[in-house]
Amino acid sequence: MQDPRIRVFSGIILSLAAFISIPGAAAVFIWWLIFTPVRTQLKRIRLVIFMVIVIALFSLLLELTAGGGGISYFTRMMVIILIGMWMFTEYQPGDFLKLGTWLFGDRTGFELGMLADMGMQSLSQLNLDFDRIRLAVKLKGNQWSIRNLVPATLVLVHGALMRAETTAELLAIRGFTSGGSLNPEFSRTKKEVIAGVFAIVAGLITVFPVSEFFILS
Amino acid sequence: MKISLHNIRAARQNWSLEADATFTEGLHLVSGDVGSGKSTLALLMAQQTDPLEGNIHREDIHSMMLSFQFPEYHVTGLTIADECESWGLEPDTILPSLGLNLRKDDSPLSLSRGELKRFHLTCVLAKEYDLLLLDEPFSSLDCYQKTCLRTQLETRSHGITVIFSHEQAILPRVSHIWEIETGKLIDCGTPPDALMQWHHIPKIIRNLIKSGKVPKNISPEDLEEAACRTRE
Repeated sequence: MQDPRIRVFSGIILSLAAFISIPGAAAVFIWWLIFTPVRTQLKRIRLVIFMVIVIALFSLLLELTAGGGGISYFTRMMVIILIGMWMFTEYQPGDFLKLGTWLFGDRTGFELGMLADMGMQSLSQLNLDFDRIRLAVKLKGNQWSIRNLVPATLVLVHGALMRAETTAELLAIRGFTSGGSLNPEFSRTKKEVIAGVFAIVAGLITVFPVSEFFILS
Repeated sequence: MKISLHNIRAARQNWSLEADATFTEGLHLVSGDVGSGKSTLALLMAQQTDPLEGNIHREDIHSMMLSFQFPEYHVTGLTIADECESWGLEPDTILPSLGLNLRKDDSPLSLSRGELKRFHLTCVLAKEYDLLLLDEPFSSLDCYQKTCLRTQLETRSHGITVIFSHEQAILPRVSHIWEIETGKLIDCGTPPDALMQWHHIPKIIRNLIKSGKVPKNISPEDLEEAACRTRE
């Protein structure tokens, strides 16, 4: 999906719809199957495995201690993760800068968009760094284990801080103080518009029960 | 002992890399512009990523090490001494030569990039590997350290050592030169003949050749010898 406006808007509606109810989550899951490149996303499933494990543990705890609701919570959260994965894989550098400026103008919008874009790029870099660290551990002839997490986290944080410092210096050197000007241009396909409309439909299904639309005896 | 790349191809978006080559024992230099695919080729040769097409065959290679451009990736110890031990090395024998014996309880990440690179390369080069792949080993080092590294690399007598670098000034005496150009790995051959085929040739060597003084190899000594050579 090329147009970040449709993507972000759809992402917000779909996430809310999936969170609110199981029928909503089902509708969002169907939307995800129809309108997103499922195979490409499944290849990247390992990126969210840690998150899935944490949610699974929390859901299990909820199911056992709160008298149910854990399975429903897990199902809804998994669908939200799928939507998050889709938004992450479709992201192109500069998307949030364009979207922010379009929404809130050259000052606040530009800055918010720039911050969001920096965050997204940092996330991609962290992912790349983590792959390299795991490989480096393997090259030393060691198995990746929980013991590697502390030094790996230190390296990741250290790298992120170093890059942030370099970026801040670059911005200062280039004379950045606040805001900036940008004339965002967006392109979209018919399929994207249809996907956006159906995201709204999925949202409506959550808010209004299906029985509201049909005369059921 | 050799590693053969049989018509391998790697690609992403608008970029691709093709290679059909065999690396035998000795010191190899792979040069190329930034973004040409040197790091990808190193990963492919280390068999840490799969090519889209073709295959890689190794013969009599039982140990391998790939050194990344950024030494931070290799850090698995919380202290410099731990890090030394993670490479199977004794801190008391390694650290004094680096002037780090008083800092062995410090975090490796408290070292500057140059110090960490030097420490990392010392750990890597302290062992013998059948296949040693060094991605940009000269980056972050000062001239003195580059010269020390060059000398260390030249003294390696075992296995296949491949340097992936765009370094132009201080290079070791190599047995083979390769370059990546327009998405292909090109075999330039062995020096001095390779110098005539090498498009990424350092300016100083190009000027020497222009003046009719072809160096025997690419190390600073070879260049000095060529520069001081009197014409017959």
